[in-house]
Amino acid sequence: MSVTLAPPNTGFVLAAGAIDAVKQYGRGENAVRALDGVTIGFERGRMTAIMGPSGSGKSTLMHCVAGLDSLTSGEAFIGDVALGGLDQNQLTRLRRDHVGFIFQAFNLVPTLTAIENITLPSSLAGRRPDRDLLDAVVDAVGMRSRLSHRPSELSGGQQQRVAVARALLGRPDIVFADEPTGNLDSHAGAEILAFMRTAVRDFHQTIVMVTHDPAAACTADRVVFLADGRVVDELAAPTVPTILEHMKTLGGEH
Amino acid sequence: MFRLTIRTILSHKRRLISTVVSIVLGVAFLAGTLVFTDSLRRSFDDLFSSVYSKTDAVVRSSEEISIGQGITQRGRIDESLVDLVAAVPGVTAASGSAAGYARILDHDGNPLGVDRGMPNFGMDISDNPLSVWDLRSGRLPSGSAEMAMDAGTFSQGDFVIGDQVSVVSQQGARTFELVGVVGFGDADSPVGSRVALFDLATAEEFVGQPGYVDSIQARGDGSMSQSELAARIAAVMPRGTETLTGVAMADDSSNQVKTALSFFNTLLLVFAVVALFVGSFIIYNTFSIIVAQRRKENALLRALGASERQIEASMLGEAVVMGTLGSLLGFGAGFGMAVLLRNLLSAVGIDLPQSGLVLQPRTVVLSFVIGLGVTLVAALLPARRGAHVPPIAAMRDVAVEQPSFSSRRLAAGLGLLVAAVAAVAVGLTGQLLVLALGVALVFVSMFVLGPLLARPVARFLGAPIARARGLSGSLARENAMRNPKRTARTAAALMVGVALVAAIAVFASSIKSSIRSVFDEQFTGDYVVSTQTFGFGGLPVALAPQLGEIPGVAAATGIQIGLARVDGKDQGVTVIDPATAAQVFDLGAKFGRVEDLDSTGILVSTARAEDDGLALGDELQLQFLDGGTHTVRVVGIYDRDELAGPYTIAKSLYAQSGGDQYDFSVYLTLRPGADTDAVEQALDAAVVDYPYARLESRTEYIESQAAQIDMFVNLVYGLLALAVIIAVLGIANALSLSVLERTRELGLLRAVGATRRQVRAMIRWESVITAVLGAVQGIVVGVALGWAVVRALRSQGFTEFSVPTLTLVAAVLIAIVCGVVAAARPARRAARLDILQAVASE
Repeated sequence: MSVTLAPPNTGFVLAAGAIDAVKQYGRGENAVRALDGVTIGFERGRMTAIMGPSGSGKSTLMHCVAGLDSLTSGEAFIGDVALGGLDQNQLTRLRRDHVGFIFQAFNLVPTLTAIENITLPSSLAGRRPDRDLLDAVVDAVGMRSRLSHRPSELSGGQQQRVAVARALLGRPDIVFADEPTGNLDSHAGAEILAFMRTAVRDFHQTIVMVTHDPAAACTADRVVFLADGRVVDELAAPTVPTILEHMKTLGGEH
Repeated sequence: MFRLTIRTILSHKRRLISTVVSIVLGVAFLAGTLVFTDSLRRSFDDLFSSVYSKTDAVVRSSEEISIGQGITQRGRIDESLVDLVAAVPGVTAASGSAAGYARILDHDGNPLGVDRGMPNFGMDISDNPLSVWDLRSGRLPSGSAEMAMDAGTFSQGDFVIGDQVSVVSQQGARTFELVGVVGFGDADSPVGSRVALFDLATAEEFVGQPGYVDSIQARGDGSMSQSELAARIAAVMPRGTETLTGVAMADDSSNQVKTALSFFNTLLLVFAVVALFVGSFIIYNTFSIIVAQRRKENALLRALGASERQIEASMLGEAVVMGTLGSLLGFGAGFGMAVLLRNLLSAVGIDLPQSGLVLQPRTVVLSFVIGLGVTLVAALLPARRGAHVPPIAAMRDVAVEQPSFSSRRLAAGLGLLVAAVAAVAVGLTGQLLVLALGVALVFVSMFVLGPLLARPVARFLGAPIARARGLSGSLARENAMRNPKRTARTAAALMVGVALVAAIAVFASSIKSSIRSVFDEQFTGDYVVSTQTFGFGGLPVALAPQLGEIPGVAAATGIQIGLARVDGKDQGVTVIDPATAAQVFDLGAKFGRVEDLDSTGILVSTARAEDDGLALGDELQLQFLDGGTHTVRVVGIYDRDELAGPYTIAKSLYAQSGGDQYDFSVYLTLRPGADTDAVEQALDAAVVDYPYARLESRTEYIESQAAQIDMFVNLVYGLLALAVIIAVLGIANALSLSVLERTRELGLLRAVGATRRQVRAMIRWESVITAVLGAVQGIVVGVALGWAVVRALRSQGFTEFSVPTLTLVAAVLIAIVCGVVAAARPARRAARLDILQAVASE
């Protein structure tokens, strides 16, 4: 493993990660190991892409580290908090206060306006969002003129921009993006990736993105390749050709 | 296609159950009422044919005065006719029987039997083959100091043979030695009546009229048929009598009891209809939601070559299965309901003869036709809409957002409302069926208009919740507003229940206010000795003069309700003592004076005088139960007829009527400065023999008169609870479907940090907003209906219109509770939702 884990509580370089993570579905003969002993860390202020063929466990890894799903064995952590010891309510609060999400589709609550969707996590926590930060985020994604629109009145790209703004507003320790450009045309997709890149650069935001699109993955600082529930390779400062090359050597189809 | 239908149903068992339940309840009520009624009819027929099994012919007075609502009295006939009947060739035995009001008191001096229930009476019993009574233990009474009683009373009063038992009749209170216990055929008592039995002479003297009997039973020697025997007897009977066969008499008696209970029967059927009506709203709503959710699936089927007709048939097939299942279960539950009803009646003191439950083919047919029919009719429109989907919809992500305003809907709704209001207006002139149709139309028009109202009303109602409950509250409000059609349809079931409650509450409250204001204006006295035995029995007429002599009492006047045929029409007449009545009541005399009334005069209300063109000095023909006719002169005309009714006559006249002489209440005025404590004590002592009478002050009396309406109203509320339960099921059903539909949205909320508690709160408040929407609509409709009814009955003494604010507030609170209860399961499911399933991309 090329990743070094920092000792607990001393100048954390990792925003989140997993140690020897195993996720098993079913029992006995039908048992499927979606994660088979994954140890990985996500550095602060950087964007990590997770790639791999369907069924490689990339989404499962993200869900488990984000506190949406639990591990069969091993440990996942966010900051210095181990997720295994948390109950449902603590997990919910952790997600609300320390994690941001961008999903592939259905990112927004249809009954809420764009601005209400952006401030949703802070509203759920009963907090007022930081005014300056809100302005900065809204301007960053260029949605100021459409704040009072409902999702049904926004294009797919605009909806994703609202989702990005929501993920960034809470200043979360980490943002998880699950195929954030999967439903978008290449132009809108590029825009979203640019916003995420800006967030990493200007806000020192930590982002973990699951994708199977090399064009998306190359905006990340690092690409981690998964296959059959294990980390099989990784690549720093990726470009589309290097990514394609790695994928070829892994023999993975996507 | 049929296989698809079955698969679909089986894959949604839970939804199936909750939809079916709304059919089950309605059908159960219907089937239960029918089974109960049929069983009752059969058992009364059996009872009376066994009671009259030994009787071949009955002679009774042909004079009968009937003023509706089951208030009927028949005259008596001369006792000497018994010998005449006995002398008819072919008659082997004949005996007279005498009956009248009597009240048996228990060991503690409390009256047995129910006020305003089945009549409590005294009667003769003798050792002849024609007796309707079967001696169960002891012996028959003989002489003026002995009595027997029915087995029901015997066990209720915890008596033993040899007890000294107090009985009150028009002759006052008397004590008898209990020597025997009898049954009424197989039954312990005649339908829960409390019966004191004496020998014939004592019965005539104590409860009847000496020298007169109510009827004569005769038995033939078997040489001819009942009708031949009856014809032979009739030939020798004087005018004013009629002769029936024993079979006809049994039918007649049975019919009388059935008529008395038919009010209850009708009430139950009305509620069965209400339950089915509310149920149909829920079925309509459920199918509409299912259709919306299955739009894509149906479009796919269309794309693969299914015709609209096939899809419609498939959905209707689902309705057929649900309707059949619901009817079947409801039909089964109906038997339980019938048993429950019987126990309910016996709990309020109406003993019904125990016999098996009767199932008529009609009950089976009606249960299934109506259960299935209601389901199909309710499902037809959604099924047609669901089938009418373009195949291309399968390829598109269809927008679920619906237009919030449709002028076509508005026009249709308003049109229906106008028709409904017209029907109600016509119905209120006395056409009850048209009225019911109008009320149903009002609900349908509200159902059509509902989606237009739902959004603004939900926005308004949700505002305080959004403010108080933060994000969960405002999301709840948004959810209630997002699909106004669904919200309105879901609320509609509760609207119907609440509207009926509100209408009844307004009606009752207005009656009460009217009663209060009428008594306040017309009753000028201070105390009342009142009974509940309105129309049959009451206080001996000798009591009022006795009370009048108590020091401090200025006047005590007894009021009787008499029956008479005035100018050929059967009427209830008020019978007063002219010497004292005016000191206690103010009838608003327009012409003449109450004091001038005597046995040759009559007082007439202004309204009746105007209708019939009567003036002072005009003559009227009055005929009483004994057949005697009296010519009376109008000596006064009074304005205030709410208490006195159209005709008022003097006691001295009614004493000649041959009818029983009872005051239903005695009203008193005190002398100025009288010592009220002393008077009260003296009055208490004077009425101690009549424990079924109550001594009340003016205020107490007025309040208890007003409160009498409460019993009826509470019964209605109890039955309407059924409609509310169905409505709660409907809300729960719709919410469950919504939760299913919003799986992803709920998952997203959970993923970005909504706690389970917040998700539950959101669903719960949406439910509350929906329920309150229904309640508010219901209250508006109900108050309007109540107003219309009260207004229409203004001439019948409904002088006041009163809105019972407290009851209506309670209705809203109950709606809130309903909302919370209905949301319990859907909210739990929403909170338990697997987030991953909700957010995972494909």
